[in-house]
Amino acid sequence: MKMKKFFLGLILVGFIVACSSSSSDDDPKGGNDNFDRDALLINVADNIIIPAFEDLQVKLSALDATKSTFVDDKSQTNLDALSDAWLEAYKSWQYVEMFNIGKAEERGGKEFGFVSFFNIHPLTVDDVQNGAKNGNYDLDSGNFHDAQGFPALDFLIHGLADSDANAIDKFTSNTSNAGYADYLTDVIAQMMTLNNSYLSDWKGNYRSTFIGGTGNTATSSLNKIVNDFIFYYEKLLRAKKIGTPAGNFSNMPLPETVEAFYKKDVSKDLALIGLNAAQDFFNGKAYKGSSNGESFKTYLEFLDRADLVTLINTRFNDARQKIKVLDSNFVTQINTDNTKMTEAYDALQLAVVSLKIDMVQAFDVNLDFTDNDGD
Amino acid sequence: MKKLVLSLFVIGGMLTSCSNDDDGPDSNSVESPATYDFTRNGNSTVSFGGQSTRILMADEVVSALKDNNNNEAKIDAMFAHVEGEADFSDANLNASNKSVRSKTAASTDYFSANTTNANAIKADFDGWIASQANDVFPNWANIAVAGQAGQLQQAGGGTIRYINGKGLEYNQAFAKGLIGALMIDQILNNYLSPDVLDAGSNKVNNDNGVLDEGKNYTTMEHKWDEAFGYLYGNEADPNAPKLEADQFLSEYIDRVEKDEDFKGIADDVYDAFKLGRAAIVEQDYTLRDKQAEIIRENISMIPAVRAVYYLQSGKANLTADNAKAFHALSEAYGFIYSLQFTRMPDSTSPYFTKAEVDGYLAQLMTGNGFWDVTETTLDTISDEISATFGFTTAQAAPAI
Repeated sequence: MKMKKFFLGLILVGFIVACSSSSSDDDPKGGNDNFDRDALLINVADNIIIPAFEDLQVKLSALDATKSTFVDDKSQTNLDALSDAWLEAYKSWQYVEMFNIGKAEERGGKEFGFVSFFNIHPLTVDDVQNGAKNGNYDLDSGNFHDAQGFPALDFLIHGLADSDANAIDKFTSNTSNAGYADYLTDVIAQMMTLNNSYLSDWKGNYRSTFIGGTGNTATSSLNKIVNDFIFYYEKLLRAKKIGTPAGNFSNMPLPETVEAFYKKDVSKDLALIGLNAAQDFFNGKAYKGSSNGESFKTYLEFLDRADLVTLINTRFNDARQKIKVLDSNFVTQINTDNTKMTEAYDALQLAVVSLKIDMVQAFDVNLDFTDNDGD
Repeated sequence: MKKLVLSLFVIGGMLTSCSNDDDGPDSNSVESPATYDFTRNGNSTVSFGGQSTRILMADEVVSALKDNNNNEAKIDAMFAHVEGEADFSDANLNASNKSVRSKTAASTDYFSANTTNANAIKADFDGWIASQANDVFPNWANIAVAGQAGQLQQAGGGTIRYINGKGLEYNQAFAKGLIGALMIDQILNNYLSPDVLDAGSNKVNNDNGVLDEGKNYTTMEHKWDEAFGYLYGNEADPNAPKLEADQFLSEYIDRVEKDEDFKGIADDVYDAFKLGRAAIVEQDYTLRDKQAEIIRENISMIPAVRAVYYLQSGKANLTADNAKAFHALSEAYGFIYSLQFTRMPDSTSPYFTKAEVDGYLAQLMTGNGFWDVTETTLDTISDEISATFGFTTAQAAPAI
């Protein structure tokens, strides 16, 4: 708790410093530093964001196909294929999760936006089970953000419903088997419809809106993408994947909150991919291929902060080493030796400081999300 | 914050300058201790057990409102506790002869000669308990829609809120309303009132060091401590308050303190409590009453600033996340309710009368309540409250 207040205090200092410098006009060339924000925005849009959404669309289509095959013939082989497709799509999602901008941020609440429809964990299993039983569910409502997306599929594909002995039973012997099949179909349909709408928007009007927003106001593209990136790194990667399960925000560890709780053995993989996604974005690495373009890294170098670039990348790399030594099943790791989880958390946390305070100050951007007021 | 207090002082100065030029004897010589630490013959004279007890009781009542295994009678019994009844989880509370309800809307200045209003206010709290138990508990598992009580979950797998057909969380109305009706009213309009501090032979006894039977304090010292206790009564170490020690006044003076626009308010209040208590020991009643004024002015700000904060926070989340918006608006509802217990500088009146407060609440609850409240309504109420208290909506609003 003290850590939070300490950082809140630092953020406040950051605000004061950020606000005290003279940056208020929508200068076409961005802030007062003459950096070519336009080039950065074009690089991230064309070489990172749009390709990532495209890849997710491909993987979701494949997922949908394996779902149809399974629903037509409910064999374990087909369920395994569905599981493989789910994992491929989940990996692809890790590269998209940070882009809560444009159409993606229109729904799902101000904090999580589109993540509300794809990756809210832990799942509220009762909502899924009741939904399958009585057909009463509305995936668009806030009551079901924690009962859809990848976590819901995780449960449907790998978890045990009611008093079933096997995961597949919910689709075969369970009295609500038809309901479970419907739920499976509806969750995937929701994900596909939504992702298609984001991709269409990016390939339609939004790209030019995004690229044109080169100013330095709260609604300018660079400011928004900095905010989204830091929110992703701090809240989704550091907290939701590692910190919350390890008990950093509660009295004891909460192993049931890990990502891919029902699959069990891919939590580490997903965490490493999430970290890669964050680091790649920071360094401007293209989604396909290995070329690097204008990015936070080059912006910092332009501002003579190569030292910060080195520091941030070092911290990312250190965090990666700490995650690599974890068991592929985070639940096992938590129950066997939770210290390694908290060490991974601490390593991720070091980068938070550099990003949230030093980098943000250097860019002269304000963070628009604050720690929750609570009650 | 300093400018605001200064301007309030100026107004206060303008109002008092014609009537009272007497500064009292040796006002400069009263020293405030570093902490709220007062002793007589080596033992502490500070005591506010009844206040700590009521804060803990109130805490349990608010929790009980969120447990649909309870019923109206059970929660009523906690609210109007009778000594010895097993109403609470805490045995000490059960053994106590204190009750929260008996001190709700019970201040000398505002209610000793206004039983009608006092009863109406107590009935409001009784009503929220009844409605929670009879309208919301039975609908606990249903999804709420306009006109239908039930639950609504905040976006992104967030907290589940339990609301009535108009989107109001009764537990929030109760908790935030109690800050006014119990804590603020008892501090500002009862224990800091000369009618209480100087009642009977309190002054003479304080002058002559005559202590309460079996106690180490004079009656006047104790009354002042009871005011102190409604704000700091749940602190681990009341001598050095850290605030956020309870979910009532302690939490919200801390929140207001953390808004840059109002920074300093926590110290202003604490310093005034200390100096006023020291003034009592030194028998400087003019200085004492000056500190009472400072406390009234500053604590009155709390429900006003938070009402505007939550109206604006609710406005920002309407439609995007109704559960979050309705939760904020429910807190606003309770803080607006509390405005009738504030105290204008150098007067015996609140900033808003009961009728004016009820008017705002009726506006918020008209039709389907929060389900169809407009941004204009929220802004208008925010602006009126801000203007009345001398700050701006922007200053009190959330930082985004």
